[in-house]
Amino acid sequence: MFFYFNFMVEPIIQRDKYNPKGKISAIMVEPIINIKFKEDQMNSKIIDKMIGIVGEDWVVSSAKEVESYIKDETEEAIAPEPCYDCIVVKPRTTEEVSKIMKYANSEKITVVVRGGGTGCAGAVVPVKPSIILSTERMNQILEIDDNNMMVYCEAGVTLFDLEEEFKKHDSLFFPVHPGDEGAQVGGMIVQNAGGVRAVRHGVMRNHVKGLEIVLPTGEIIKTGGKLIKDNTGYDLTHLMIGSEGTLGIVTKAYLKLYPKSSNSGSLLISFDDKKSAIEVVPKILKKGITPLAIEYLERQFMEKSADDLGLKWPAEKGKVDLYFILDEKKQDDLYEVSEKIVEECEKNGAVDSLIAETYKEQRAILEIRSHGYPSVQSQVVDILDVCVPIGSINDYMDGIEMLSKKYNAYIPSFGHVGDGNIHNFIITEDGTKPENYEDLSEEIFKLAVGLGGTITAEHGVGKIRNSRLKLQYTDKHLDILRQIKKVFDPEDILNPETGITSL
Amino acid sequence: MNIIVLIKQVPDMEKVKFDREKGVIDRKSAGTEINPFDLNALEAAIQLKDKDDNVHVTALSMGPPSAESALKEAIARGADEGILLSDRTFGGADTWATSLTLAAGIKNIGIYDLIIAGMQTVDGDTGQVGPEIAELLDIPHISYVSEIEEVGSKFRGKVDIWDGTYLKEMELPGLITVTKDINDPRLPSFKDKMKSRKAEIPVWSYETLEEYLNGEKIGIKGSPTVVKKIEVPKATTRKGKLWRENIDQAVDEMIEIFKEIKVLEG
Repeated sequence: MFFYFNFMVEPIIQRDKYNPKGKISAIMVEPIINIKFKEDQMNSKIIDKMIGIVGEDWVVSSAKEVESYIKDETEEAIAPEPCYDCIVVKPRTTEEVSKIMKYANSEKITVVVRGGGTGCAGAVVPVKPSIILSTERMNQILEIDDNNMMVYCEAGVTLFDLEEEFKKHDSLFFPVHPGDEGAQVGGMIVQNAGGVRAVRHGVMRNHVKGLEIVLPTGEIIKTGGKLIKDNTGYDLTHLMIGSEGTLGIVTKAYLKLYPKSSNSGSLLISFDDKKSAIEVVPKILKKGITPLAIEYLERQFMEKSADDLGLKWPAEKGKVDLYFILDEKKQDDLYEVSEKIVEECEKNGAVDSLIAETYKEQRAILEIRSHGYPSVQSQVVDILDVCVPIGSINDYMDGIEMLSKKYNAYIPSFGHVGDGNIHNFIITEDGTKPENYEDLSEEIFKLAVGLGGTITAEHGVGKIRNSRLKLQYTDKHLDILRQIKKVFDPEDILNPETGITSL
Repeated sequence: MNIIVLIKQVPDMEKVKFDREKGVIDRKSAGTEINPFDLNALEAAIQLKDKDDNVHVTALSMGPPSAESALKEAIARGADEGILLSDRTFGGADTWATSLTLAAGIKNIGIYDLIIAGMQTVDGDTGQVGPEIAELLDIPHISYVSEIEEVGSKFRGKVDIWDGTYLKEMELPGLITVTKDINDPRLPSFKDKMKSRKAEIPVWSYETLEEYLNGEKIGIKGSPTVVKKIEVPKATTRKGKLWRENIDQAVDEMIEIFKEIKVLEG
């Protein structure tokens, strides 16, 4: 037994968030004292083996510490019940990951890989006694190759690390930004993360060019590289992307970089009704205008979010807003593109158009937009994540309106209207699941699939949408997916009951 | 009513980098913006204009020729016109020389009822230029105003200083400096933004203002103070230490450290 003391030499000084020069409201000194192995639950043989591979400091087995590794951002009402009988192992190298998997495979021990824990579908939640393999220490950016415009990094590099790194870089950046900057590269890859900037840059799938993967059986394989074209055999890189941690463990990745543009601006264009706002989106895209993001935002919802942050939503006229994020090479281009967008929106009944250009003002809008979900989190039962063809969004919204009447439910919508991915909330006063939840959500999924859409655009199936897969795929289709899983993971040890595996 | 709003173009402080060795701001490291408190000043003026069509708002700035874009931005946000005081001889001015130059600009405008400035600039942080201008013009002034109200021919300002709140009244013409609490500056409408890009900004040089200025008292020559060096304290980072065996010793050491950094009293 040993003790681990962690204390901060600098006390945390807490001030009013919006008045950093204001009064100090609290000073906290936080010595954290943990006594390890107090409540050993998992077999001590497994713990010893893990300590043998990664060292004593990087195996966590006390219930209190394990608790922070068994949940993600999935709404409580629908999140899978986590299993507490787990240990957390934090390897530093691919070789260590390989050793862990070889051992787990031979002993048939379940392994759940965990990145930043920012997922919304319970993929990283262990539901049976497991080794939780946290990639947090595999956090090195190994190479930024300017000529090939690629970054080579380890799986545990966070989105925050990437953003910070490329803030310093003269000319290149990584375009995907799903939201929470605690997300790790490995997680973003196996979840095929999306986010607001997908209109111009697409999702993770468009930027992953090569991977180092540890298979469930412990072997290491490498796919792709710094290549734009590669037609050799089946593409395992793309099979890994979106596999939700079920086929292998991504340990390193080549990601594509893009030249920075320095003239960014945000437009907030207001409309009196949803229909006019949504109809204008394909018209703008057809003109060859491709903003970084086009978001559809309902006013009531954004005002609540702004209020929650102590900010003010800038738009006042109208009832719904389209929020465009633009980024152009030249300032004149920014205004020219903005003018075209505003013109098209006005033709479609826009009542006001505002422009934000300073970093601070643009960030405030994005912050309010991003806080939309947290501002109602305590009431949210489920945040749906369907995607329909852009041309069918209005039919989808009509359907939502109808269901909202049928079930007497308030179903706010917001999200990435530029790529057809609308998030709908099922909300109750205290976030408990309503009796008609299953029926209502089933009808929303059927509505989306009926319009040629999908039940999940970016959050994934995880451990919460398995039963809905049949709405979208035939038995044969699902059978192929299951066979693929078997080829990679014959003992079914890697993240079972996730994605397609629990059918 | 004629309102003059004082505007300064400053580096975007969120992005600007400091050259620790030379002790100066690396101005090339970031874009520029209107000093955030000046946006509150402008918004205060525009709100008065919203209530009364007869209000005319002039944005006034001293700076290099590139500061023209800040004045255009002020027009996009609702000012009726912008005037730039720019001349090589104005360069390097401290607060006193800046105040003299801006006061000369205001005298050249001639007719004004109210002057509104931000409480300070984010790149200088002195908060002196507003009140100094009022003194030079010999008009009343109220600093750090977080609410304004027109009371007959007077202006009443609410001022929060330390734990007290003051209600101060002044006759017009007068000058106020405002805090960020006075309002939420609006975003420019896209139409106004486009119009402002075509706006002509008159540039007044030393020659234009000669009648009100003494050439010895402006720019770096007329500045009794000078910023020699900017020191940016390094950010402190968290430190950790691991004790494996002797826990009693660990506790003693921790207590010593807490005493040393003064987080344990007594």
